[in-house]
Amino acid sequence: MHIPDGILPAAASVAGYATTAGATWYSIRKINESENPQESVPKAALLTAAFFVASWIHIPIPPTSVHLVLNGLLGVVLGYYAFPAILIGLFFQAVMFQHGGLTSLGVNAAMMGIPALLAYFVFQLRFHLKLGDNRVWTGIFGFLGGALGLGIAVLVAFTILITTIPGSMDVAAERSSIMALTLAHAPLILIEGLFTALIVVFLQRVKPELLEAS
Amino acid sequence: MFSSKAKLVLPLVILILASLSTTTVLAHGAKIEYTINTVVEIMAAYDSGEPMADAQVTVYAPSDLETPWLTGTTDDEGRFTFTPDPEITGTWDVQVRQAGHGDIVHIAIGEGVASTGSTGFTTLQIVLMSASVIWGFVGTALYFSRRKA
Repeated sequence: MHIPDGILPAAASVAGYATTAGATWYSIRKINESENPQESVPKAALLTAAFFVASWIHIPIPPTSVHLVLNGLLGVVLGYYAFPAILIGLFFQAVMFQHGGLTSLGVNAAMMGIPALLAYFVFQLRFHLKLGDNRVWTGIFGFLGGALGLGIAVLVAFTILITTIPGSMDVAAERSSIMALTLAHAPLILIEGLFTALIVVFLQRVKPELLEAS
Repeated sequence: MFSSKAKLVLPLVILILASLSTTTVLAHGAKIEYTINTVVEIMAAYDSGEPMADAQVTVYAPSDLETPWLTGTTDDEGRFTFTPDPEITGTWDVQVRQAGHGDIVHIAIGEGVASTGSTGFTTLQIVLMSASVIWGFVGTALYFSRRKA
């Protein structure tokens, strides 16, 4: 899922950074509009830690294996804090483990962070539909948020990769391996959806104020 | 008397014949030249430990970093070997890529360079780095959740 250095053309890196800058500015402005912007920082910091290590948790899906991303979960639980959290998590993954890279940080952050914001909007829909107090519906919207967050990110990654295969490569072979990797993420989308549902149901039971609309 | 003369001539003739045949053998002499070629073997694996089988390899020579010097694919174990041109010394770049994932390794070719190298970390390094970063996040959380004095 993390696009490393040296894969994308320079224009894509620049466009990625521009998109990430815009999304970061939007998120921070929204966070500042809240009553106490620092209130959710501990929650965001802990989930950034979870996001940071999630990429080491590999799930074997033959013939390959995929790792957890958790961007949907971060969106659902953190709201506008999700984008900066994902950006910081990705930065440390790139610097420490070369998961992703510094030139592709903008692309990766936009690719995972913007779907996280969409996941948040989907999760908040339950308040508009007056289903916010119902535990079953919280679980269902949690599932939708977690699954959509990752699902959209996978689709964006697929589109970016398939349109930027350099001509010096065996394009057909690379295309089919990108297809295979994308398909391998389908079970992961369900897994992360379920995982997000379990977490929001658990949070609603023990600490419902964490899930309130901000 | 005669017989003793013949005895002396016969070995002489054999000697001449023998020396003649030696010269003919020398005309078939072999000449061996040698150059030591460095063969570079690449082993590519994902950080889950799984080998990058059938991944595409692109080799760039230091003389031209724009156009690939060689392209190929790894075998089932993620292995790829190539012989760089010993005339082109400097840092060769080898990119292994599959489904938008991959890495570039920089290999110095020339005199007095390391014979092995890798782009990854050991497990201990990874655990230590993860622990430090996680502690940074937890510390941030603790700082912002402290009770106001």
